[in-house]
Amino acid sequence: MDMIEVRNVCKDYRVYHDKSCTLKERILFTQRSKYEKREALKDVSFTVPQGEAVGLVGLNGCGKSTMLKLIARIIYPTSGHIETRGRISSLIELGAGFHPDMTGRENIRINASIFGLTQREIQAKLDPIIEFSELGKAIDTPVRTYSSGMYMRLAFSVAVHVEADILLIDEILAVGDAGFQEKCFRRLAEIKAAGTTIVMVSHSLGQIEEICERSIWLQSGQIQLMGEPKQVHSAYLASFR
Amino acid sequence: MQIFKELYLYREMIASLIRKDLRGRYKGSVLGFLWTFINPLLQLGVYTLVFSVILRAGIEKYHLFLFVALIPWMFFSTCLSAGCSAIINDKNLVTKVYFPREVLPVAFVTGNFINMLYSFIVVLAVSALFGDHVDLVAWLYLPIVMAIEYVLALGCTLIASAVTVFFRDLQYILGILTMAWQFLTPVMYSVDMVPDELMTLFLLNPMTSIVIAYRDILYHGQIPAMQTLTVPLVIALVVLVVGELVFRRLQRYFAEEL
Repeated sequence: MDMIEVRNVCKDYRVYHDKSCTLKERILFTQRSKYEKREALKDVSFTVPQGEAVGLVGLNGCGKSTMLKLIARIIYPTSGHIETRGRISSLIELGAGFHPDMTGRENIRINASIFGLTQREIQAKLDPIIEFSELGKAIDTPVRTYSSGMYMRLAFSVAVHVEADILLIDEILAVGDAGFQEKCFRRLAEIKAAGTTIVMVSHSLGQIEEICERSIWLQSGQIQLMGEPKQVHSAYLASFR
Repeated sequence: MQIFKELYLYREMIASLIRKDLRGRYKGSVLGFLWTFINPLLQLGVYTLVFSVILRAGIEKYHLFLFVALIPWMFFSTCLSAGCSAIINDKNLVTKVYFPREVLPVAFVTGNFINMLYSFIVVLAVSALFGDHVDLVAWLYLPIVMAIEYVLALGCTLIASAVTVFFRDLQYILGILTMAWQFLTPVMYSVDMVPDELMTLFLLNPMTSIVIAYRDILYHGQIPAMQTLTVPLVIALVVLVVGELVFRRLQRYFAEEL
């Protein structure tokens, strides 16, 4: 069963030279609101079956993050269709929706509720999440006192415990220390084995080779090559030479 | 229909946003939660002073007359003038995570609605203690009037919050508009003072009927006429449906615009 189906997706961004937001600016500077169309994705199609992990690789600005945001339904395609099944959990930016003044524990509750968990589900998962994050006593101190590594631990722990059908990860794992990274990968393999579909963006090709069955190389918004990670990556690396 | 299911799935998110709003409202102040009650009482004091001592309105127990309409009006006007920022204030969430965007306006309106319910403890106490006509059977109609006002406020907030993302001026325009709307609604004066030829126009404003209904129940101690309830109900439902349609159309572009 295909969990993610991307069909002929194009995404254009409008890049404004000087964006005017208010009425006054709009009337006074009509010619200022000129924009250029920038094509972030051009006719991209692929499907991801249940339980598969796919890695997206490519240069900065090739459309990897745009692709993830499209799958997550944060933005919508200009043309084409994207269909997804089930609950989506995403780690697109670190600690989206964290409130600095609230404690780690309170933030877990809020963050989990943003992923659409009910009170009961959150209650049941609270302890495993705290345990996984290894934050110990820090869990009851405000998040603003956290280091970026601790922040990432909290965000990751919530995202991998919501039992989503699809998990989207954008270049997040780089922050944690080696020990925690290793643990994250074991956890990703676990939830993948349990049937979660994963799409991840990473510049660490090794990470993708470790966990993904397939790699998609995006080049200027188009799929350059798709297939077995090692082969795709060697072609990708060869393009630099 | 789909949207009801989705909002139900995200009920915990709505609840946690409301809790945060209500708890955070008077955070750091000495009297804290008590402000929920002190605020309307002080407002009542000021209006009473101005309108029954200085600018005599010639209405019996004017403070009560005003109070029972002002509290519901304040709920509505907050939704209109502050609710329009519901989406842009949570920019961080909208650009980074998926959730039905309706969650934000729904949480805003519901939080303010709950705040109004708290204020109604004061309203009911004041009208029971000092009112000339207290009819407890009429009080049973209060939830209906409140529900109609909630639907209307939600519909308006959906439209305003979505449009504000693309057109930030709306925040300031709505500030003025809310003030004008208050004067065009019989909040501070009686609907009897409205000239007959303008009456139809006044009744097109759903808030007029809603204010009349509140006043019938809490000031005159009588059950509101059927028409006073059905007309605003129909308008409120139309506004809600239109609001959701507008919101759904615009929400696709929220993340890019913010």
